[in-house]
Amino acid sequence: MKCDNKFIDLIHEYLDGDISKEDEKYLSSHLEKCEACQIHFRELKQTVALITTNVDMKPSENFTLNVMDNLPMERKGKKITR
Amino acid sequence: MMEEKLKEKIRAVKKGDQQAYEYVVELFQNKVFGICFRMIGNRHEAEDLAQEAFIRAYINIHSFDEKRKFSTWLYRIATNLTIDRLRKKKPDFYLDAEINDSEGHNLYGQLAADQPSTEDFVEGIEIQNYIQKEIMALPVKYRSIIALRFIDELSIKEISEILELPVGTVKTRIHRGREALRKRLRHV
Repeated sequence: MKCDNKFIDLIHEYLDGDISKEDEKYLSSHLEKCEACQIHFRELKQTVALITTNVDMKPSENFTLNVMDNLPMERKGKKITR
Repeated sequence: MMEEKLKEKIRAVKKGDQQAYEYVVELFQNKVFGICFRMIGNRHEAEDLAQEAFIRAYINIHSFDEKRKFSTWLYRIATNLTIDRLRKKKPDFYLDAEINDSEGHNLYGQLAADQPSTEDFVEGIEIQNYIQKEIMALPVKYRSIIALRFIDELSIKEISEILELPVGTVKTRIHRGREALRKRLRHV
């Protein structure tokens, strides 16, 4: 038997840090009794953990250098200081 | 403080000090690259897009309002560029597709990340490639939100500003995107 979708919505609100105190209590007392929602909750938390850890999320080492090399020339006149 | 130093550097850039921009690029390169990568799924293109984003931001720096958050403005440039690039690659129905609740692997499945690098045997990279492949199976409108939410852990409000979408829409898409990924990643 599937639970009411409202609990799933509450789980998402919880994960977004967007849940009220009462709703949080309501959700946690439900999770204590409902295994299906517990599993769902755990899977969502795991999903978030998987997509948040970014082992290899860096551009190449010369990235900044490449950007700097490709900027348009400084406008003439702006460089002249008195 | 970092925030203060950033403001100072941006002011310098606006006054014509090109070198001051180096600090800005260093500070945001990983985030911008990460966001582009999550959306486009390919390191080479992500790097290209991230570079273009920084160059565009530089060219348009005078239109940046210093009362606002610089990252919001920069990420908007990066996501718009990436969406444009994806639009050129794929027809619109794909970009705006809704997530189907039944496991719709066939429609998006073919757009796998064209990764396999030489060090694939390293487990971490393998898992990362797998995760990215699953993210690429989502329609772009979910991918962009997932990129922003989970690369820089931005608030829903910030995401709504970056993508110029109502807060409610952002929430719904985070929830749906997270559900879709749950189905795809629960066996990892």
